[in-house]
Parts: sequence; C-alpha cells; structure tokens
Amino acid sequence: MLEIRNLHAAVEGKEILRGVNLTIGDGEVHVLMGPNGSGKSTLSNVLVGHPKYEVTEGSVTFNGKDLLALSPEDRSHEGIFMSFQAPIEIPGVSMTNFMRAAVNAKRAYYGQEPLAATEFLKLLREKRKLVGLDAHFMSRGVNEGFSGGERKRNEIFQMAVLEPTFSILDETDSGLDVDALRIVADGFNQLRTAKTSAMVITHYQRMLDYLRPDFVHVLVDGRIVKNGTAQLGYDIEEKGFDWIKDEIAQ
Amino acid sequence: MTTHSASIYLDLYDQHAALLASRSNAVMNERRADARARLAQYGLPTSRIERYKYTDAAAAFAPDYGVNLHRVCSVSDPYKTYRCSVPNLSAVLRFVVGDVVMPAAPTAVLPEGLRLYSFAEAAAADDAALLARYYDRLARESTDGVSALNTLLTQDGLVVHLAAGTHLKSPLQIVNISAADLDMLSSRRLLIVAEAGASADILICDHSAGEHQYVSTEVIEVFAGEGSHVGLYTLEETHTTNRRFCHTFVEQAANSHVQMGSVALTSGLSRSTTDVVLRAAGARYDGVAAVIADAAEHIDHNVLVRHAAEGCQSDMLYKYVLDGDSLGAFAGKVLVEEGAQQTLSQMTNANLCVSPTARALSQPMLEIYADDVQCNHGSTIGRLDDAALFYLRQRGIAEAEARLLLQHAFINDVLQRIPVGILRERLAMLVERRFRGDLRCSGCALL
Repeated sequence: MLEIRNLHAAVEGKEILRGVNLTIGDGEVHVLMGPNGSGKSTLSNVLVGHPKYEVTEGSVTFNGKDLLALSPEDRSHEGIFMSFQAPIEIPGVSMTNFMRAAVNAKRAYYGQEPLAATEFLKLLREKRKLVGLDAHFMSRGVNEGFSGGERKRNEIFQMAVLEPTFSILDETDSGLDVDALRIVADGFNQLRTAKTSAMVITHYQRMLDYLRPDFVHVLVDGRIVKNGTAQLGYDIEEKGFDWIKDEIAQ
Repeated sequence: MTTHSASIYLDLYDQHAALLASRSNAVMNERRADARARLAQYGLPTSRIERYKYTDAAAAFAPDYGVNLHRVCSVSDPYKTYRCSVPNLSAVLRFVVGDVVMPAAPTAVLPEGLRLYSFAEAAAADDAALLARYYDRLARESTDGVSALNTLLTQDGLVVHLAAGTHLKSPLQIVNISAADLDMLSSRRLLIVAEAGASADILICDHSAGEHQYVSTEVIEVFAGEGSHVGLYTLEETHTTNRRFCHTFVEQAANSHVQMGSVALTSGLSRSTTDVVLRAAGARYDGVAAVIADAAEHIDHNVLVRHAAEGCQSDMLYKYVLDGDSLGAFAGKVLVEEGAQQTLSQMTNANLCVSPTARALSQPMLEIYADDVQCNHGSTIGRLDDAALFYLRQRGIAEAEARLLLQHAFINDVLQRIPVGILRERLAMLVERRFRGDLRCSGCALL
C-alpha cells in the first residue's frame, strides 16, 4: 500500500527526516515510536502534504501513485487520513457543514453525485454511534467547546465518515483517560479491515494493548533504527529508548 | 472652509434654486438656506477632517456630476421588471430610482398603522405636520458637509411613519437603484418615525443598473419613540463605479431598541456615517456590519454613539473580510456623557485580510464622563488561520473551498445577530453567493 524510500524532509530549512524507509502492506497496523523530536510528527505531516514541510529527497508511493505529487486534498481523496495530535478549533464552521463539504468533495473526485441530505444525515448518525458522539456536537463549530477527549473522538468519527484506506494516528491516545482511550481504540478497531492500514504514533503500552499492531518501528534522529513486533513496544515501555541508542552507537 | 468640490455644488444650487424649489416639498425648501450656509462653512470633508481621515469625500465629489433637476426616470416600472430571489419577503415595497421616489404599486395595501409616502405625496395636514416636526431635525445639527449637501440638493424622499403600538409582521423593503444614462449625483432622503410601542423592520437594498460613475448621498433620520423597536438593515450590492455616502442619524427615547445591520457585498466606495443618541433611560442600540470587499473596493464605517441618559446599552460588532487590494476602515466612538450612569457598551471590530495587499484600518474609541459604567472595545486584524486551512484540506476540502468556509465562518456571527429569520436567511444566502463569486446583483435585480 505505502512505500517510503529514503525520505528526507526539512522544516524551515532544518533537516528532520534523514532517510526514512518504510513499507506498509494492506491490512497492517504499524506503530511508530521514538523519543521527542525524532521526526514522528514530521513523517506524518509529510505524508499528508502539510505545506510547512519540505521534502528534499526520496519518494513515497501510495497504491502505485506518487504521493508527493498530490495536493493534500487529493491525498485525502486517495484514502489518506490523519488524526491530528492537537485537533484545531474552527469556530463558525459547523461539524455538519464541514462533513458535508468533505464527503461531497470526495464523491466529486470519484465522479459521484453529492449525497442526498437524508442519506448524509443517516451516515453521520451511524458513525457518531461508533465513538459515542452526541448529536448536538454536529451543530457546533468544528471542535468548538469540545474537551480534549471529545476532540480525539471527533477525529475517529471523521475517519469513520471518510473511510480512508490508510490512517495516521498521531498521538491520538495522548490526554485521554482510560475510558476515552477505550472508546477511541474500539472505534478504530471496528474500522479495521483487510484492506485498511494504519500508522500509529504512541508513547503508551495501553495503545499497544488495544491495537495489537503487526509491527513496531523506532525512529531516532530522523531514521528508522529498529524494527520489530509488538514486543519491541513493550520493551521500550519498560526500558526507554536509551538501550536502542546505545545499540546504534555500537 | 469651502472646498473646491463644495463650490461646484454651491454654484449649481445657486443657478437652479428656483427650479429645485418648484419641484420639492416646502419643508425641504425651508431647510436649504441653512444647508447652503453649512456646506459653505464646512465644505466637503477632506481626509484632514478627523471623522473622514479614511475617506476623502471632497475628492469623491470632485468630478462635476449631473443632478437630476428635471426628475427624469430611466426605469419605467420597477415593480414589473424587478425580480427578487426570495419571494414574499415584503408585502410593502417601494422603489427609489436614482433619487426619484417611484409611486407605490397600485396593488399595494399598507398594514394598519403604517404610513409610507414620498415627500411629494405628503398632502394630508398630519403628514405636513410630521415633516415639519422631524425633517432635518437631527441632520441640521451636524457639521458634516456631505449631509449638508444632501439637504441642499434633495428633492424627494420617503417617510415611514408607524403609529403608536403598530407592529409590522413582515419587513418593509425599500429598493434604491442607481440608474442613469450619464455620470450622476443623487440625493436620497429617508425619514423614519416610530411612535411609542411601535415595531418594524426595514430592509434597504442598494442596487445599480448601468456602469456610469454614480455618487449617491443619503440621509436617514430615525426617531425611535418610547418602547419602540426599529430594525434598519442595508444591503449594498452595486457596482465598482458607485460611490455611496450614507449618513444615518438615530434618536432614541426611553426603552427603545434600534438595531442597524449593514451588509456590504459589492460597491466602489462606500462610506457609512452613523450618529446615534440614546436620549432616555433604558434605550438600547445594536449595530452590526458584515463587509465583504475585494479588488479596489473601499468601505468605511464611522460610528458615534452618545449615551446621554443613564441605564442605556449599546452593542456593536463590525466584521470585514478584505481581499484583493481592498481597504476596510472602521472608526467607532462611544461617548458616555456626564450622568449616564449604568451604561453598558461593547464595541468590536474584527478584520480578516485574506490577501497580502488588503488593508484594514481600525479605530475603536471610548470617551467616558461617568464613573459607574461598563464599556469595552476592541479590534483585531488577522489573516486566515493556516492550521485551520490545512485541517480542512486534509479532510479533502479543496483549498479554495476551505478558504471560503473559513471566511464565511468569520462573518457568520454577524448574520446570526439579525433576529428576523427571513431576512437573516436571505442575507446569509447572498453572502454565500458573494463569496462564491456568482453574485452580480442577481439576488434581487432588474431583469
């Protein structure tokens, strides 16, 4: 599904990614771990085409297409979704209007008619249930007055509505209490199929417990330095990152 | 100080005073000598005058515009040729073409308690007495040369009179159409008198037909009686060749409520001056404005609210979305006079500069001579939020559409303050179409 080759990227002239290689297949969940500042969020933002991040070298192929040549909105239509680390508040743009614009933009991309109002409302209703988001959130501005937990649930709700094939969860578990984490993780798990994949950035074992990832990768100083299974995540939870850094030094 | 452009119009008046007088109501003629003296004294304001520092009126009037002395009307029957995209907005509709007030449609039936007539139609003794009592009563106190010019040259206007306790169920609509076969100056006049306990909402639509240079002055005087409610909304959708100077004077009695709402969608230069005096306890004034400007449009709101009695409230929200090389200016002053205790006032001006070359000038002011008041004012000037823009794009919304959503969101809370549902919905629709770039007087336009 996704092939990242020798990816280098910079922010404001400073190189953050220094040759990332990663392959993600259909139906796989990969967890990305690493110390603060190692480039995890940069990698996520590069994949979704954030204009602040400049790719200086390397390639990313998504289902055979040159991902880096696509606009952020076309990447979204092609099936890429990012659950933001800190979902922003957009007062005045109601959740309903936001979702309608997003759903219909994707339909237009595939040459489909806009969804009829009743169908659209039915879709919202179904997907809200998945993460337990009340109806009244739909008339509010995007994330306006939402608590931290509600914002993260809202991210998964949007993911459910847009049905991406590849999702990036950028510290979706941060700032969540145990119950909220379970709701978010359950929501995510229900959306998993043999055709959908994900890259999950997390610092916590709880997320590993819920998601049962296929692979865990460790990013240090802009490179993936270690690959493993879920067990690698548990080792890091127990011992931190220093032992990995020591390994590299040797 | 007589400016050059003022002297053009003083000369024009001197040459045609008799003709003007022969075509106008006596009460208008009675006020001309005073207006002439004031225009000669103050001149047309240049940007050196404090209240005009963002708009050089003298320059705007400098071309020698024609004045419709012979009352020629280029549109024969607007009631038949006019198309409104939202039917049944108003049962009561009057057209003003240039500064010629068109007769009412023959089928028009006014609700009980409402009198709507032109100065020329003011035949009954009661009407004449009303004009004598109210006409130019507020405007004459002004040192503003533009309103003096209006009083000097105006030949007709509309009167809205609401008898005590009258409640209008649907808004009354006045449509101004700037239409002329040559470059033209028109002088419009509107007098609104709401007696005690009366209530009405009035929509004024400013439109244009043709692409001649057009400058209009309009003086609106509003007298809100005790416990009355007047909603006065202006929709401006004209042409970049239009220059509009509208001066609204409002005097409010005890416990009256006036809301003024202004939506500016397209124009060339638009200057709105608003002078409000809260004369007696419990009066409340709300002012809201939504400005959407691009290209070289120049929109300037200048507001003065005088709290002259205790326990009054004023609340103003002016929002501008500025694109292209447009300029949006706001200057607002809340003046709390001595003894006006328990004043509550809020004034906010927020600007969104969408393009790097758009400019916003903002000057909210407070002048307070009482010690037990709550007054706030503030202004912001910002750009579109890049983080919000990217969030929307990540969800598949194209950049242009995302920008549009954010601009609409910015201005939307102004529209939400308009309490009349049908009016709010209609204005919201026009704002959306304006943002999408498919509005050119098509919301309500001449066929």
